[in-house]
Amino acid sequence: MAEDVNSLVKNEFFELVPFNVAVIDREYNILTANSNFHDYFGEWRKRKCFQAYKKQEFPCADCKVMDVFNNGVVRVSDESGIDRNGRRCHYVVHLAPVRDESGKVRYIIEMSSDITDTTRYQREYNILFERVPNYVTIIDKDFKIIRANEKFRQTFGDMAGKHCFEVYKKKKKQCKHCPAAMTFKDGKDHMATQTGVSKDGDETHYVINTTPLSRTGDGVSHIIEIATDITEVTKLEEQLKQSHDFQSTLIRNSADAIIGINRDGKTQIFNPAARELFDWHSRKKPGVNTIKDMLPDDFFDKSIKDIEAISYPETIVKTSKGREIPVRFHGYNLNSKKKNIGKVAFIEDLTHIKKLEREKLDAERLGAVGQTVAGLAHTIKNLLMGLEGGMYMVDTGLRNNNVERLLSGWTVLQRNFGKITTLVKDFLSFSKGRLPEMKILNPNTQVESIVEFYKDAAKKQNVELVAETDPKMKEAPLDPKGLEACLTNLISNGIDAAVLRMDDDGKVIVRTIADNNTIIIEVEDNGNGMDDEVREKVFTTFFTTKGGKGTGLGLLTTRKIVQEHGGKIDVETIVGKGSTFRITFPRERLKMILEDTRKT
Amino acid sequence: MENKLNKTVLVVDDEDDVRNYLVAALEDAGFNVRTAVDGSDALEKVKKSKPDMISLDLVMPKHSGSKFYFELQKDKDLKSIPVLIVTGHARDELGKVDFDTMTMQGPGVYLEKPVNPKKYVATVCKLLNIDVPKGFEVDEEVDPDMLRNKLTSSLRDADPDALKRALEALNKK
Repeated sequence: MAEDVNSLVKNEFFELVPFNVAVIDREYNILTANSNFHDYFGEWRKRKCFQAYKKQEFPCADCKVMDVFNNGVVRVSDESGIDRNGRRCHYVVHLAPVRDESGKVRYIIEMSSDITDTTRYQREYNILFERVPNYVTIIDKDFKIIRANEKFRQTFGDMAGKHCFEVYKKKKKQCKHCPAAMTFKDGKDHMATQTGVSKDGDETHYVINTTPLSRTGDGVSHIIEIATDITEVTKLEEQLKQSHDFQSTLIRNSADAIIGINRDGKTQIFNPAARELFDWHSRKKPGVNTIKDMLPDDFFDKSIKDIEAISYPETIVKTSKGREIPVRFHGYNLNSKKKNIGKVAFIEDLTHIKKLEREKLDAERLGAVGQTVAGLAHTIKNLLMGLEGGMYMVDTGLRNNNVERLLSGWTVLQRNFGKITTLVKDFLSFSKGRLPEMKILNPNTQVESIVEFYKDAAKKQNVELVAETDPKMKEAPLDPKGLEACLTNLISNGIDAAVLRMDDDGKVIVRTIADNNTIIIEVEDNGNGMDDEVREKVFTTFFTTKGGKGTGLGLLTTRKIVQEHGGKIDVETIVGKGSTFRITFPRERLKMILEDTRKT
Repeated sequence: MENKLNKTVLVVDDEDDVRNYLVAALEDAGFNVRTAVDGSDALEKVKKSKPDMISLDLVMPKHSGSKFYFELQKDKDLKSIPVLIVTGHARDELGKVDFDTMTMQGPGVYLEKPVNPKKYVATVCKLLNIDVPKGFEVDEEVDPDMLRNKLTSSLRDADPDALKRALEALNKK
């Protein structure tokens, strides 16, 4: 029975072993082979081994077969050959001697198995190991480097046999928190970020991965250590952090409120100045709808998405309590790589500036009255002089029975009485109400109608009066009566000056100019102009160069009205050429005064 | 009234009323009086014939009193003429600068408007170093109330004929 099994197995064994089996003699002839052999290498009958294995007609240069025939020792050899389909193949072959009774090696059994794939994997692994742009080392339990890849060798030189910590950190001792030590201990992968020193002595940063490579009875014997240099990344991270810190310091300490909103409308930046401006005390930042209530609608308008920025020199924002605050507002879309990533608003609180502007305006308006009172004394002195003279004439006329003198004295008294009446009237109108009665009107309309009204009177004195109005002029809040008084005064002054030419070529032009944010009205005459002395005094007191004709209040009243409008008046004059009086009204101030008059 | 003083005063003022008044007062006191309506007029007249004294207003159109005064001071011959400045601006900003720079040069004083006739004549006499004529002695500081009282009292004492004629003349107007 046992004999049967033995012979059965012996017979079948040849075919069953998972090898390509062939038997050869000393002349390299293949005597027999199994079907695995045939399947792998193809036809073998009447062939020599080199013909079957390598499809060549001569024995291999490094043939091991003869060694085995001579010394009878088993050999194993890596070989490459050609398979039955003509493809290169790799195989391991065992050469086992078969001896006859005399002990002489008669045949050799060759048992080969395919390692083509394994060889490829090996090659691939090698390439990967060598060429990967990381530092790859295999280290043993003593942390000695057994093998290192190309990048490692390029950077550190041949460090085989050195400790990893010597190479990476120039240290004599194993590092704390060493991932390699942990892998040796528990057989698992570990990762750590380490700071080392490059061969130039610079600080370098690595991420280290450790993986067990081979194990022996008492645990892991070798590990692969892969170190990735992240020094550049770390540097960039630091720069990024610095730049972030720098910017957040700027934002935090900005006197202007800064609000940043991301693409989803969520508030991301709300700096302390914004908290103060918007009276926001919650630790959380305002939500989508709260922010929308606070800021100008246009800022959230979808249509401005394509526009880089919106800018308001003056607008209103609302605090969390609903209070309105005048501000200067700049809003910007934030774009990165042509994609919108949100928006930011810079808001400057104008409350304080507004208050200062208001105070300045009030001071100027009060100043106009003060200067007037100072000038009043002088006018009264002049009138008293007239009365004094008149009385003297009447007095002496009566005393000396001189009727002619009495009459001329009486006329002087009458005339001065008339002047007092005019002065009182002028002064009453002058001191009437500090706030102008503002109405929305186009200054052009008023200029044109006043010029029309005085045209004929001017013509009678041979002075041409014309209006040159700027068609771009827009409406503004102005006091029509006040403006009329100013224009009448300036026109009548202009006519008086133009008359003095004596050549009947007198001309007065009333001009309006719509400047950016101001309204300019000019009255230009081609009279004799004024010398410096007169020009200096023209607005300062009850000054008249018209002898007995004027009270000296005309330009003062004009200036007062202009100042009450928050404007200013000045004059350009050239002796012999004429004068131009220029009134300037800033539109902002007109608006402010309109608000004031509406309040009272 | 004869001009017994034999002194000539040039009155410079742009206002007729003031000029006429000052002329009347000076003539009453016995001065010869000539007039000018502004600085350039005055300069012309002074150059033509040198007066003994000039009564000068400061603020006048075209050619001001102060300008005239400086021109006068530049002329060796003319700068010795005493000048009485009659101004309403002596103390306010308009006249002060002129006034401060002027007073130090040449002979002269100033009177502030309104000027009382007696004070005016007395000041002119003082500048010319002559006695104040009878009737122009300054008793004390005169105020407008006093003047008014005086006027009413002279009206009360006036010759009825003169008053009648005056009224007739006024009614005709």
